[in-house]
Amino acid sequence: MLPFLIRRLASGAVVLVAVCCLAFLLLFFSTDDVAVNILGEQATPEQIAAKNAELGLDQPLLQRLADWWVAVLSGDFGSSWFNNETVVGALAARLPVTLTVVAVAILAIGVLATTLGMTAAVRRGWADRAVQTGAAIGDALPSFMIGLILVSIFVVALPWFPAVSVIAPGSGVSAWVASLTLPMIALLINGVAASAQQVRGAVLTQLSRDHVRTLRSRGLPEREILFRHVLRSAAPAGLTVLSLQFIGMLSAVVVLEQVFALPGVGTLAVQATTTGDLPLVMGVVAYTTVIVVVVNLLVDLANGWLNPKVRVA
Amino acid sequence: MKSGRRILSAVLAVAGLLMASGCAAAGASTAPPGVLNIGIVQDVITWDVGQGHNGHRLVAFQPAYDTLIRREPDGTLVPMLATAWDYTDAGRTTMELEIRDGVTFSDGAALDAEAVKANMEHFRTANGPQAVQLADVAEVRVTGPQRLEVELERPNPALEFYLSQAAGMMASPEALGKPETDRTPVGSGPYVMDPARSVAGDRYVFRARPDYWSPDLQQWDEIVLKVLSDSTARVNALISGQIDATQLIPRNTAQAENAGREIVNWDANWAGLLLLDRDGAVAPELADVRVRQAINMAFDRQVAVDGVLNGYGTPTSQVFGEASTAYDPALDDYYPYDPQRARELLAEAGYPDGFTMTLPLPASMNENIPFIAQPLADIGITARITTVPPQNSQAELGSARYPAAYFQIFQGPTWVAVEQLLVPETLYNPFRSEDPELTAILDRIRTADPDDVEAPREMARYVTEQAWFAPWARMGVTNAVDPDKVRMEPQIGQAVPSIYNYHPVG
Repeated sequence: MLPFLIRRLASGAVVLVAVCCLAFLLLFFSTDDVAVNILGEQATPEQIAAKNAELGLDQPLLQRLADWWVAVLSGDFGSSWFNNETVVGALAARLPVTLTVVAVAILAIGVLATTLGMTAAVRRGWADRAVQTGAAIGDALPSFMIGLILVSIFVVALPWFPAVSVIAPGSGVSAWVASLTLPMIALLINGVAASAQQVRGAVLTQLSRDHVRTLRSRGLPEREILFRHVLRSAAPAGLTVLSLQFIGMLSAVVVLEQVFALPGVGTLAVQATTTGDLPLVMGVVAYTTVIVVVVNLLVDLANGWLNPKVRVA
Repeated sequence: MKSGRRILSAVLAVAGLLMASGCAAAGASTAPPGVLNIGIVQDVITWDVGQGHNGHRLVAFQPAYDTLIRREPDGTLVPMLATAWDYTDAGRTTMELEIRDGVTFSDGAALDAEAVKANMEHFRTANGPQAVQLADVAEVRVTGPQRLEVELERPNPALEFYLSQAAGMMASPEALGKPETDRTPVGSGPYVMDPARSVAGDRYVFRARPDYWSPDLQQWDEIVLKVLSDSTARVNALISGQIDATQLIPRNTAQAENAGREIVNWDANWAGLLLLDRDGAVAPELADVRVRQAINMAFDRQVAVDGVLNGYGTPTSQVFGEASTAYDPALDDYYPYDPQRARELLAEAGYPDGFTMTLPLPASMNENIPFIAQPLADIGITARITTVPPQNSQAELGSARYPAAYFQIFQGPTWVAVEQLLVPETLYNPFRSEDPELTAILDRIRTADPDDVEAPREMARYVTEQAWFAPWARMGVTNAVDPDKVRMEPQIGQAVPSIYNYHPVG
């Protein structure tokens, strides 16, 4: 187990370094306009040159990349070019909102998708058709569109929820619930569709396997067969889809945060990208990559725990 | 079967709980009277006065910062932190200002001539987006405790206006240049930021400052600026009562009106083409004035107003707006829609088969493409439109790679428009084109009384005849309010009203 863990962590680190270097490279080609963005339409060439020097944009690419890595390895992600807010501080203020939305949505998707997928596979008939149709519809609608539909129903027509975030410093649970429920439901409807389909498929495959027939022939209760054997063997497929969903949600939530004006990382990423605030963008890239690597690792570990067959030496 | 029902009832219970708490929070968000909630389109990013800007960003600074001169809704300049100002020489290069006595900043520091000088010097060295506003200043001299002189290298007719804008905003001299000023403003304004309730990028809460020197300008107990960059989020927040006022995009206005909100519309920008390559560097055809005039005649401007601006706008052939002394109503229909005459002009210029030119367009304005390309195609000009990311659009426009561009630009007073559109140094003149006849008129405007209309109107006529631009319209800005709570006064030449223009109802 330990060698596996070390290997996965090492490959995660390689991914992190590669993604950060690539992102830095891509951003390098768009930083030409940053000084003009900051200085506005009447900036003189001298002003632009002075601003470029102030931001270190007059340095060669490799020098800047090296400087960034040296600083990051000592724990310093730098500060926003525009308002001196530290990157770590900016992320720390916004991560709880984004992670709450995504994590709660993914947990709910896990529970609902398993329930729906198993019901469809076991019951078949109308339940199966209902799940399949619902899955197709949910999958076809992007989450931001579902968000807009939810707003027109539960904000405009029925004033049950606020249109935009009411989360403020020190605001209680009710403000969080009120602000995050609709975006979470939007992610959930979109995400549960694909996952339920996967669970249904995997359960159906397992149900037709020989060992299930053997278990049944030996008189085990159907409930035990379903939950202890079938679900356990079907879980890896569901978990893998769930981890992909989680990663997809990190980008879907960017648009949702705009629609609901949530003070999350997505809003920060959009703003930093449109202004060309390189330190902030790099901070967002690094944090997203770490989350993706960690989630993938956790899924692998969970798969190994659930199903000894996938335990890799 | 039983367990299924149990799960179902649990799900319903959780959903009910969520809804109940949602209702409670939504209800609680309705603000008590005396609080003005404004949805702002752009985040402020930094509260340093040296990075002060115009339009949306200017208004966001107004709760915290007073300006030396205040601009009334109709554009009249009246005393604020400066009680009096005037040029002391005939050449209009030295301005004397009297600074109001007894005003303090929110940190307790006093406003005096030294504080004003420190602010002006900070503004000049901070290299901010409006640095041009004080670029002509040679020296600031303190001549008394509350008196100072601003000496200019050359006359600048817009100086008084600039002192009502970013350049006139005064921060506590103790706060200037300190990093914490980026997050929390320290000014003498009618409101003070409550940092504990503000979140950068999300909302900024300002409380009325006790013993503010001009209670008339302080009409609310609290002002909340909520950052809502998404247009749909703004209209939803307005309709549901989470905000009392905001700026909408034209296609959202009907939805707001149906929900009982009031649209306050006035012209503040112009929209249309900038025919940048007047010397023919990348598109030799544009060097011929007849080609530029032909382009002006290609557009049915009312069609553009209806199609692109949802009717919120006034067709015009000139770039100068009502806030400018150069504005001449007679020029509004200088170029009638006449594709036949346009084709003749192109033929006279030697291009009977037309030509091709490439224009950059911010991706956020993609829906304008047919309104640009089709009329030009009708007179034989092929417009290749390159969409660019909105954040790069100004830089692309100023890159001298494109002979022409579509853009939307704010309409300021005469000299502001000159420095923005006509002088060789401006971003909107990337090919640095100059015209001796125009330069002579500009020199006259520079030293004339700012109220004089003769030279400015001559300039407007000349620029229109020479077709440096192909404007479509003065664009309406569609601000919206809850009329039961707020009365909004338009602010001439500004996309959003000044903070003083929001009056409580009842």
